[in-house]
Amino acid sequence: MEGIDFEVKELVYRGEGDTGDFISFDPGRCDGCGLCVKVCSAGLWSLREGKARLAPRYRELCLECAACWEICARGAVDFSYPAGGTGVTIRFG
Amino acid sequence: MESWDVVVVGAGPGGSYAAKTAAELGLKTLFLERGRYAGEKNSSGAGLGTRWWRDFPEIMGKLPYLSSYRRIDMIVIKVVDEENRLRLVQGTTGSDRDGSRWSGSLDKGMAGASIYRSDLDPLIADLAVSAGAELRTSTLACDVIMEKGTVRGVVTEKGERLRAEVVIAADGAMSTLARRSGMRGRWGGGCTLVPQIDFVCDEDKLDAVVGNAEWCWFGPFNGAYQVNFRESFHLGAGKWLRPDWDTRPPDMLRRVMEIPAFQKFCKVVEARPREYQAHLLPWLKKPPRTYTGGMMLVGDAGGFPCPLDGEGIWHACMSGKIAAETAAWAISRGDVSEKALAEYERRWKASPLGLEHSFGPEFVEIWDHSIFDPELMKRLIQLILELSEIHPFSVLFDWSDDHVSCLNRHLEHLFDLVPEFSEFGERYIKPLGAAVSPQVVKKALLQAKGKLPLLRLLPDQTYLRALELLNRRLGSRLKEAAGR
Ligand SMILES: Cc1cc2nc3c(=O)[nH]c(=O)nc-3n(C[C@H](O)[C@H](O)[C@H](O)COP(=O)(O)OP(=O)(O)OC[C@H]3O[C@@H](n4cnc5c(N)ncnc54)[C@H](O)[C@@H]3O)c2cc1C
Ligand code: SF4
Ligand code: SF4
Repeated sequence: MEGIDFEVKELVYRGEGDTGDFISFDPGRCDGCGLCVKVCSAGLWSLREGKARLAPRYRELCLECAACWEICARGAVDFSYPAGGTGVTIRFG
Repeated sequence: MESWDVVVVGAGPGGSYAAKTAAELGLKTLFLERGRYAGEKNSSGAGLGTRWWRDFPEIMGKLPYLSSYRRIDMIVIKVVDEENRLRLVQGTTGSDRDGSRWSGSLDKGMAGASIYRSDLDPLIADLAVSAGAELRTSTLACDVIMEKGTVRGVVTEKGERLRAEVVIAADGAMSTLARRSGMRGRWGGGCTLVPQIDFVCDEDKLDAVVGNAEWCWFGPFNGAYQVNFRESFHLGAGKWLRPDWDTRPPDMLRRVMEIPAFQKFCKVVEARPREYQAHLLPWLKKPPRTYTGGMMLVGDAGGFPCPLDGEGIWHACMSGKIAAETAAWAISRGDVSEKALAEYERRWKASPLGLEHSFGPEFVEIWDHSIFDPELMKRLIQLILELSEIHPFSVLFDWSDDHVSCLNRHLEHLFDLVPEFSEFGERYIKPLGAAVSPQVVKKALLQAKGKLPLLRLLPDQTYLRALELLNRRLGSRLKEAAGR
């Protein structure tokens, strides 16, 4: 595309502080449908050998949208939020 | 253990308005927010419509003093064809014969506002604090206190147990409280994801090019909104999170950014992308269960956003207000059981919020079977363009052939397209016929009668009765009209 394009990770802002773990994944429930891969704006999910895999650095890159939790019909993704006062800061929402 | 009359979770519009109302009613009220300040975690379009002036004038009156504010008088729809050419620009101005639709300082058009959530949310939270509610930020609620199937308070991530007579869950689409209390899990197909980009641009140039308007883009790619702020704008597009999801969210926006008219616009107003956001937005035929013993769900947590346009901030404030009023009523009677809180549902159903949802299934069906079906969208856009061609000027200024041939060609295209949509219209638009008010039906019929000399002799009531008998299909509507 000419002129305007963007890179998601350059357009997301974060506060200080340890978010703690806030996404958990249960490979036993995953059937490898790949929907979490498609809905993630930050590209944090991938498929390996028929199972989803969450990027280990997700705490620094996740947008906290919870789409991966909502789309997973198998209940393999559990999402809570980062610790209060940490994580993404939406400045121009 | 601390104890309160009402603990509200979430300081979005729904939570803050609930806290404000509860405090004003004299209840000891606490509200919690996981962000460092209200609005830190939130993104919206965010356009506010005219009804804000009617229901929340105390908020509307303060918006012009906030930095992102732009007054909105109209919505401009831009229709693009398969080859990305801009083919139709249509503005909504609304009719304003008696001025009854508008108030405040704005006297015509779609008088509303665009405002960032980073401006709006702190404003409503401040109103709640001024009314006497206590706000705790950087505080994540992670569970409910349950006793004998009734919610008795909330637990924070630090293990604090906050007891409350009534809990109001205003914790957004992925409501932790609704999940932890066992009210529901995922939305399972009833929730959209809305990726959005904030562009910063030149204020004067934006004034000159868009003025006081929101823009919408429609094309075979589906639709996108462009909400314009003081010196910036949001471009966003949503879609239901369902198994047929096929694109990466940022690509939904890139698709619109490819349109040459959009690129040109960006160049002229000197726009550049500044922030990317992605947020859930429940978009349901009707809100599911909105209360349980000791707890009510408001705003997105309750599934309240508008089933036609996905607008949800007014719905959050409205449901927050009704929930707080119901809490005061239930506490004063000493009964906050599930049975008592059924009053909440009765109240919101009887309010404009209930009216908004009375045609929820029909509204959702229309979107579901049009905008997310690229083939149908392609044809629909042809139909819209064809329809817009049939006006006197089109014949005058179409120089592709002699004028008579041009007119006939337009009509022929139109008649080719119409049957394709009759099934869609019959199935998804017609049910909305029931929403047309009997007074309007009556007025239209009497006007038609006035134009036919012979019929003028008949008394109005007799004429309406006769029609009622003749037209069995529209029977019930006409009957109602005849009755008034
Ligand atoms: C991209 C997009 C565009 C939209 N455009 C428009 C528009 O133009 N006009 C319009 O009217 N509506 C629009 N909507 C809908 C609107 O944003 C929502 O309906 C509205 O924000 C709902 O308000 P709420 O208070 O219920 O929830 P939210 O605004 O989601 O607020 C929930 C609050 O709770 C906090 N929270 C969540 N969990 C916890 C927890 N466990 N503990 C403590 N705090 C918690 C969150 O940080 C947040 O502040 C849009 C939505 C999206 C996603
Ligand atoms: S959506 Fe769920 S089931 Fe499908 S790949 Fe992802 S984790 Fe596995
Ligand atoms: S919450 Fe959103 S951004 Fe984070 S991993 Fe899930 S889909 Fe990706």
